Amino acid sequence: MYGQTVTMRKRITSAVWALVVNTIFWIVIPYYLGVFLTGRVPESALTVPTFVYEFGILFIILEVGAAFFQGRGVAVPMISGVALLTVVYIWYATNGGNLGVETSGISLVLGFRTMLYVLVLPSIWAAIRAPLTYVVWRRALRSEAMPSRAAP
Amino acid sequence: MGIWALRGVTVAVTLVVLLVAGTVAYSAYEDYSAVKAELAGGSQQAVGAAVLRGSTETVSINITVPNNGLYPLNVTLSCDYPTSNVVCQRTSVDVSPGGEGVLRFRMTVSDVTQFEGSDNQVINGTVAISMMPFVSLTVGTNFGGFVKTGGGQ
Repeated sequence: MYGQTVTMRKRITSAVWALVVNTIFWIVIPYYLGVFLTGRVPESALTVPTFVYEFGILFIILEVGAAFFQGRGVAVPMISGVALLTVVYIWYATNGGNLGVETSGISLVLGFRTMLYVLVLPSIWAAIRAPLTYVVWRRALRSEAMPSRAAP
Repeated sequence: MGIWALRGVTVAVTLVVLLVAGTVAYSAYEDYSAVKAELAGGSQQAVGAAVLRGSTETVSINITVPNNGLYPLNVTLSCDYPTSNVVCQRTSVDVSPGGEGVLRFRMTVSDVTQFEGSDNQVINGTVAISMMPFVSLTVGTNFGGFVKTGGGQ
């Protein structure tokens, strides 16, 4: 939350925690998932796409930055960035809501673009909410600081 | 005041997403169960006939499509023409929630002798099931299996 005093010790702790959690979530889990899938189906070329790691690095940078600068205006674009990156990531990962497989002469195509719009709605709102929350807080702060214009 | 309004929007967005995801999942499950029950042969809802006149065979399939879900369902059958002697009409049915519709599919093979003694005749067909407006599943498969080289039903 904005306006609260955050010590440097707490900032560093939060940033390190964000680094560890996001590295596990975006790098370690996808890597071992790829190793597991390759081991289970050795004849297939199942690999984790490179974009997963590329997005993972961006997520880590933004999350660590947001944790370090928590409570400050600098954190706002980082929080919004994470939300927008989530939208792009989901879009990429689901091929824009159009997933297809082909096996034994049968092709299956699952289309769910409208559903995808609904699924990314919370992330889009999170991207908008972060700057709005900051603006609302600033306005509240300014109105508190202004002298009262009440009748003498 | 402002912060509470933002929280209100967050709650509303979350509820909308949960509601849509929940109802879509429920509808998909109900429709899948209905189709599965139909294919299991519990009811005589899929009726097929292959009529042979000379060397021309007409395949007719009438499928009753139930919709137990909460969203309108559209089922479409169509096929490409790998050779000029296969004529297949695209057919589609819209089924409103709680109702059922009949899909009437016709396919005419003018020279059925080419199918005799061969399992490799391919008529590329497409079955598209759409739970409007959220999800659709398109299955591309071989409709050559519908053609009975011996004729009859």
